[in-house]
Amino acid sequence: MALTHDVPPRLDDLVPTAHRIGQAIESVIEGKGDVIRLTLTVMLAEGHLLIEDVPGVGKTMLAKALARSIDCTVRRVQFTPDLLPSDITGVSAYNQQTRDFEFKPGPVFANIVVGDEINRASPKTQSALLECMEEHQVTVDGVTYPLESPFMVIATQNPIEMEGTYPLPEAQRDRFTARIAMGYPEPTAELEMLDVHGGTSPLDKLQAVATTAEVTALIAAVRAVYVSHPVKRYAIDLVTATRRSPDLRLGASPRSTLQLVRAARAHAALQGRDYVIPDDLQDLAVPVLAHRLLPSIEAQSQRRLPEQVMADLLHRVPVPEARAR
Amino acid sequence: MRLALASGAATLAVSFTLYPLFATGAWFWYALGAILTVTALGAGASRFSIPDWAVLPAGLVGLTMYTTAAFSRDQAWLWVFPTFDSVAEVAALWALGFDDIQRYAAPVPASQGIIALTTAGVGLIALLVDLFAARMRLAALAGLPLLALFTVPAAVITEPLAWPSFIIAALGYLVLLLADGRERVNRWGRAVLARRQAGGSDSPATQPHVGALKLSGKRIGFAAIALAVLVPTALPTLSPNPLFGFGVGGGLGRGSNTITIPNPIAGLRGQLELPAKATVLSYTSSDAAPRYLRLWSLDTFNGDEFQMTAPTGRPEDRVGAGGRLPPAPGLSPSVAMRTNELGVEVSPDINRLEFLPLPYNTTSVDIEGDWRADRSTLVVFSTTELAAGQSYRVTTVEPEPTARTLDGAAAPPDDIKTRYLQLPDDLPEEIRELAVRETAGARTPFRKAVELQNWFTRRGGFTYSLATGGHGSSALIDFLMHTRTGYCEQFAVSMAVLSRVLGIPARVAIGYTGGTRVGDRWEVSTRDTHAWPELYFEGVGWLAFEPTPAGSAGQGSARVPAYTRIAEPSDDTERPGDTAAERNSEPDEADPSAAPATRGQGPLDREGTSSSTAVEEEFPVIAWVGVGVGAVALLLLVPAFARVVMRFRRLRAMSVPVAAREDVAVPYGRAVEVRSAGREGAVTRVWAELDDMLYDYGMSREPSESPRALARRLSEGNAFGPEAAEAVKRITAAIERLMFARDPGGTAVGAADLKLVRAALAASVGRRRRWRAALLPPSTLRRLGSVGTRLLDVFDRLESLEIRRATARR
Repeated sequence: MALTHDVPPRLDDLVPTAHRIGQAIESVIEGKGDVIRLTLTVMLAEGHLLIEDVPGVGKTMLAKALARSIDCTVRRVQFTPDLLPSDITGVSAYNQQTRDFEFKPGPVFANIVVGDEINRASPKTQSALLECMEEHQVTVDGVTYPLESPFMVIATQNPIEMEGTYPLPEAQRDRFTARIAMGYPEPTAELEMLDVHGGTSPLDKLQAVATTAEVTALIAAVRAVYVSHPVKRYAIDLVTATRRSPDLRLGASPRSTLQLVRAARAHAALQGRDYVIPDDLQDLAVPVLAHRLLPSIEAQSQRRLPEQVMADLLHRVPVPEARAR
Repeated sequence: MRLALASGAATLAVSFTLYPLFATGAWFWYALGAILTVTALGAGASRFSIPDWAVLPAGLVGLTMYTTAAFSRDQAWLWVFPTFDSVAEVAALWALGFDDIQRYAAPVPASQGIIALTTAGVGLIALLVDLFAARMRLAALAGLPLLALFTVPAAVITEPLAWPSFIIAALGYLVLLLADGRERVNRWGRAVLARRQAGGSDSPATQPHVGALKLSGKRIGFAAIALAVLVPTALPTLSPNPLFGFGVGGGLGRGSNTITIPNPIAGLRGQLELPAKATVLSYTSSDAAPRYLRLWSLDTFNGDEFQMTAPTGRPEDRVGAGGRLPPAPGLSPSVAMRTNELGVEVSPDINRLEFLPLPYNTTSVDIEGDWRADRSTLVVFSTTELAAGQSYRVTTVEPEPTARTLDGAAAPPDDIKTRYLQLPDDLPEEIRELAVRETAGARTPFRKAVELQNWFTRRGGFTYSLATGGHGSSALIDFLMHTRTGYCEQFAVSMAVLSRVLGIPARVAIGYTGGTRVGDRWEVSTRDTHAWPELYFEGVGWLAFEPTPAGSAGQGSARVPAYTRIAEPSDDTERPGDTAAERNSEPDEADPSAAPATRGQGPLDREGTSSSTAVEEEFPVIAWVGVGVGAVALLLLVPAFARVVMRFRRLRAMSVPVAAREDVAVPYGRAVEVRSAGREGAVTRVWAELDDMLYDYGMSREPSESPRALARRLSEGNAFGPEAAEAVKRITAAIERLMFARDPGGTAVGAADLKLVRAALAASVGRRRRWRAALLPPSTLRRLGSVGTRLLDVFDRLESLEIRRATARR
């Protein structure tokens, strides 16, 4: 982690750039500032985003808008039950001319991959995508192909109760840095949407406001954000609390601790701060941790969602305290 | 199983309190063996589900076998099975033990008999505790046998039991109750309780989670013990008198092992009026001079008569075999003293007498048996021996003070004053007036005492007669004002009372006069029974006075002590006592400056001594109440004061110049260790002060609330003005940077910010809250509470250690 100390934080660049991207997205999606900010946070934290909500609230629109506002390659995969792993990773096809097998890269070879309705695909296909997410590489026929950088998967999924869905297994949910719900727009925002979207798609007018290189530099700046020891301890306390909570059958993994702190760095950087404070962790704990948690039978019978349990835990775990006389 | 073990532990804990009863610790191992035997039986019975009714007989059998093995192994069959001989041996041991207990005072030597008795007793208690707690499931009731065991030392030893021993005993009982509670909850199955956060060891859910319940129970228990120990220290106490006699230690019972304190006053006239004169004792003295021999020293005056506080004989004050008596109170080595030796032979025919007739001041007594001296009065007594037929050698050291020394005596110490100046509140005013009037001419306490003695023996026109009676204030007034007829009792008591009125510590000694000379011996008979006052002068100690008329018209063998024949005014040279009547007519006031005894001392000295004789001003009750209320108020203000001091210190420390940040790497632990130097110290102090301030005003921070969230809450929720809101933001930003940023930065915070926040906080709460924050700041109390919590945590850790070991064993 020598990097964190050597690279000078370029937060002065970061904040306006991130602000531009945010505004670009907001011009497409009305009144979802929180969601957009979280999306940017996940991107800067080199994570992947899972957007979960009922159909038609703009999940795909968000993903596309983000991709469009950064000048980078975007591929979109519509997950269906008959989608095969090779449809994502790519296949080795026999080339008549060269008389050799030739790798045809799949949609995963892009900076931003939008996986639409990821829970409609078979688990086999899902896991193929998830390997790419974790490893940042694809292995086909024994040959490993690295993926582009930056690389971010924005997956959307419908709530599990909907028909024709395969729920994502815990192991795969764990690979997403954060899960957010779009939620229905406010009436005013919806009205504006009717006005704007009535004629043309605003997505068409969207211009890229940042380059890939800029985003890479931003990510480097985020890595340099300072995380003090007490804040690290606090993150561990939060995660440990989920493992100890009697309301939860499964707590958060060590991977989630890592991602929580990474996301907190990005969160701090987006606010122009070069150090992480407990508030960053508190703001991110629910989107970053809640989708990995499994409620216990008792909590289920009380209809307590993991989000609520996590929010309760946030109120119980003490923040770092300065010890002085 | 657990209950049986806990019962054993409780009994063991309580039996620790027996320690001060014994001179050595040998008994403990035997008692431990008995407890272990019972505990092992009980635990085994629980383990193998032996019916409860069988446990008591089994325990008795076990105890019998243990006793046999421990005390009469040789007579027993296979060491443990009692035979006729072994039973007889144990019984003999017990009898011996009973005798020893009668004979010795605590701490008793650990004779085999006493050990056998103790072992049997402790074993029986252990059996009872096991019966109540483990068999009948009445753990609370098991406290009764434990209490019985605990009362033994509490009742026997004069000194209060050491508080640690009480704590150990109470903890033992607590362990028993805890075990019982746990067992009870376990039977109910799983308890739905929130787990403790720190409780790392999540045992599989086969066991009910009683941790929280246990924790609160423990805390209540510890708090109760702490209160039981601490509260009495704040209460006024009675002087610890043993409840029952066990060896020496006083007591007014008539048991065979207690000393009998007859009513000395009542016995006095009976002795004097005996038709036939009987010899009580005879003695020789190395200087061939007679001595008053004292038996009792009466210190408390209840308005009717003088009585004796039960003497206490501690083992270290044992006399005999050349043993020395405790030093005489108040006697300083600078006074001229004469050492003498007396050989005393007490007649074997006298009545039961547990006190030794001794002259004052005796420094050592050479006598057989367990005789002990009371530290304050130096009376020597025994609970096991009688004075009849004893013969012993006595070394005396008698002060020979000059009138000048006595005139210059300093004020007596407080303990003497409180004990020997005490008078009933309803003492008639005439007596006080009389005392002052008759000693008006004397300047020093000693002169006043001499004046009193002279008044009784000559000036006052008193007559000696045995044909008087009656006690009490009216009798006192009768004697002093009207009849002026009495015998030694009235004289001694009256003089003691009058002396006390004048501020001279006084007590009444009962004993014998020097007797009559027969050959080279002095013989003391019942007719010589006598009472005389002893007055206290700092530096010299207790001095006998003789107000009773001597000679044929009075108590035949009474003698006026030499030191009371002080030099009279210069024109009246010292003459023998028989011409005293003349001297009486010229009291001291004639020419004080001419008195040789005071010559050269100057007015300063006189002033000093006269001030010491000033009668203590009575402090009115209402004033005491005021003092008490004031003290309580002051005590209540301590937290407020502590808060102010704390704030002052924090604010003052903020002016310390900036220092370089030290790298603060905390290996593990949530708190940021911040050096309290430089600006960081200042920021953390401001932060701590803000935290306390919020707590005081009832807006305390949640532990999960970050500085930023706090600032948000304060500026949104409360009616904070923009300035105060800014101040809060500044403070929180500073602490945030300090704790979490790579570079603590230069945000300046100061006392001004705190003041702003404080004003805003105070404005946002009601008046009652404001007053409370100022007078009884909750933050100080919280700090106190956290200290207590930490203490309890230590106990918890200790306890969990013990349990972990227990589970590991299983």
